[in-house]
Amino acid sequence: MLEKTGVATEQDLARVTPSKERRAKGPVAVIECFQRIPCNPCQTACKTGAIKEFKDINDTPEIDHDACTGCGLCVSSCPGLSIVVVDETYSEEEALVKIPYEFLPLPEAGSFVTGLDREGKPVCRAKVVKVLNTKSMDRTPVVSLAVPKDMSMTVRFIKLNDYFSDNTIVCRCEELTMGELRELIRKGYNTVDEIKRISRAGMGPCQGRTCRQLIMQEIAAATGTKMADLTVSTYRPPVKPVKLGTIAGGEHGE
Amino acid sequence: MRTTEIAIIGGGPAGLRAAISAASMGAKVTIIERNENLGGQLVKQTHMFFGSQKQYASTRGIDIAEILLKDLDKYKDRIEIMTNATVLSIFEDGVISIEQDDKYLKIKPQSVIVTTGASEKFLAFPNNDLPGIYGAGAVQTLMNVHGVAPGRSVVMVGAGNIGLIVSYQLMQAGIEVKAILDASPRIGGYLVHASKIRRMGIPILTSHTVKYAHGTDKLQKVTICQLDEKFQQIPGTERDIETDVLCISVGLSPLTELLWQAGCNMKYIPELGGHVPVRDKDLQTSIKGVYVAGDVAGVEEASSAMVEGRLAGLCAAKALGHATADFEELHNDCIEQLNSLRSGHVGEKIRKGLEQVAM
Ligand SMILES: Cc1cc2nc3c(=O)[nH]c(=O)nc-3n(C[C@H](O)[C@H](O)[C@H](O)COP(=O)(O)OP(=O)(O)OC[C@H]3O[C@@H](n4cnc5c(N)ncnc54)[C@H](O)[C@@H]3O)c2cc1C
Ligand code: SF4
Ligand code: SF4
Repeated sequence: MLEKTGVATEQDLARVTPSKERRAKGPVAVIECFQRIPCNPCQTACKTGAIKEFKDINDTPEIDHDACTGCGLCVSSCPGLSIVVVDETYSEEEALVKIPYEFLPLPEAGSFVTGLDREGKPVCRAKVVKVLNTKSMDRTPVVSLAVPKDMSMTVRFIKLNDYFSDNTIVCRCEELTMGELRELIRKGYNTVDEIKRISRAGMGPCQGRTCRQLIMQEIAAATGTKMADLTVSTYRPPVKPVKLGTIAGGEHGE
Repeated sequence: MRTTEIAIIGGGPAGLRAAISAASMGAKVTIIERNENLGGQLVKQTHMFFGSQKQYASTRGIDIAEILLKDLDKYKDRIEIMTNATVLSIFEDGVISIEQDDKYLKIKPQSVIVTTGASEKFLAFPNNDLPGIYGAGAVQTLMNVHGVAPGRSVVMVGAGNIGLIVSYQLMQAGIEVKAILDASPRIGGYLVHASKIRRMGIPILTSHTVKYAHGTDKLQKVTICQLDEKFQQIPGTERDIETDVLCISVGLSPLTELLWQAGCNMKYIPELGGHVPVRDKDLQTSIKGVYVAGDVAGVEEASSAMVEGRLAGLCAAKALGHATADFEELHNDCIEQLNSLRSGHVGEKIRKGLEQVAM
């Protein structure tokens, strides 16, 4: 329930989702603002009259999706950041979702990022198509994302790393993904040794030959350190896994 | 002794608007502000404001402060500004004592408008004095005014508008917010703010509180637990979150010491944040010549604080004989704006509170 979790329920969304037919015709605003609060900039920003005039400043916005041109003026005017524009005519397989994004650095056009749903869960890969940041937008830039068409009503935020690479396996032996590795680095595990201890990466059969380099590259990128300056992990003997018995048995011929 | 027509104590949005409107009527005004800069809470607000365009909706708080200062400048021949100046007391004869740059001075105004705002409430739990535990206002000042990060990660207590907005600003500053807790079973702040935080993956845990803070010389982790519908801790629901900052945002209470000293009739009104002065429709308290506006009269919003400031400024100036032809019109406009801001569901609490302090 929205009031408990801050996440709109399916019923809430059903009330504000433009019809399938309307979405098939081109860009349209989706206004996810469900509570009566004293606020109206979306209405004053809309030049087409698609958002009906408020009788009372506490009214929730009422939009005529057919009159909406999808111009996006309302998106950066909303202090609640609760408006997106979706365009399902973008391409055969993809829809465009335009979201307000007030974080630095801004994503670069052409880059791939991770699409997040209303709970911040990664759901798909998104391509940044355009980043608009004009003076009239007053520091609320709008980022246009190309996402798989069936994700147009799901993706509402992004994380600036590539969804695909997040799911890439870094350590095949212990199945550590790039996403998990990044999370560990974010939590403050900044050396190969620390990461090894917590994730077991590098303790499998290959003894870190595949992953050590990848982990170091990622730490360097995330912490802004040069590869040469990173603490190198301790190379403990043996260089390949051996049965304890082999060692315990003493030197051959002793 | 120095004199002035109207002394305005506190240079936040309410005080600045009061000064502008009183000066526009022709009154001679002195603003006394304890901080180095004018603007009050506004100078920390980097987010866009709600409200309608008349109260600068969709404009950021910091920019609203700039707009007010420009308006102030239009009347600079009639407005005296004292900064780094803390009002220590209002005596019953109306004399105000001030400490400015280590010097003690007194002013005798003909009337005063008290616009001192509100202060943060705190929470009681073991070890709540560990370094790393701050009020949300302090965290905002550190970040947005001084550009200093309070730590690496934060647990926020309080899901009202301030808790939600400060959490968002912490994320913007690159600090990880691990969770937002609130004792109430419902999110108190605007749901649009809550939703934008959830999209970033931050959990909002309603019916939760802090039970214990751990650390030797600074905060290392907190134990949180769940509450039942009677706000009692549920045993066995404890869990630990590692964090170096705990930020507390559980409400504000009006900063009313000066009003008590002046002998104003005060009432305890929980809906308005605590003890507040009884006032008439011109915002004059039970003491003639002592007016109030903004959070000190009841914790609300910058939008209403500005309109109240304007109203108090107009009325105080008129009472001193500065009448203009459009006074009635301006006066009614203020009343209408206030009614409209408080008309909705969110304003219900405020309306209920105000009914009890009307004189
Ligand atoms: C995080 C946060 C977000 C907010 N978001 C919004 C929003 O989106 N929209 C909105 O409308 N409102 C918002 N508000 C609320 C708004 O900031 C306040 O309601 C508003 O600032 C109140 O104005 P004021 O002038 O009454 O008090 P303040 O802004 O607190 O100003 C009071 C001033 O008085 C000074 N003072 C106090 N005591 C003395 C003394 N003894 N001598 C001299 N000077 C003194 C203080 O230094 C201060 O400058 C927000 C508040 C916070 C904390
Ligand atoms: S996208 Fe444009 S036309 Fe549609 S509601 Fe927003 S401002 Fe109005
Ligand atoms: S501007 Fe945004 S938060 Fe305000 S009423 Fe419109 S949609 Fe809701």
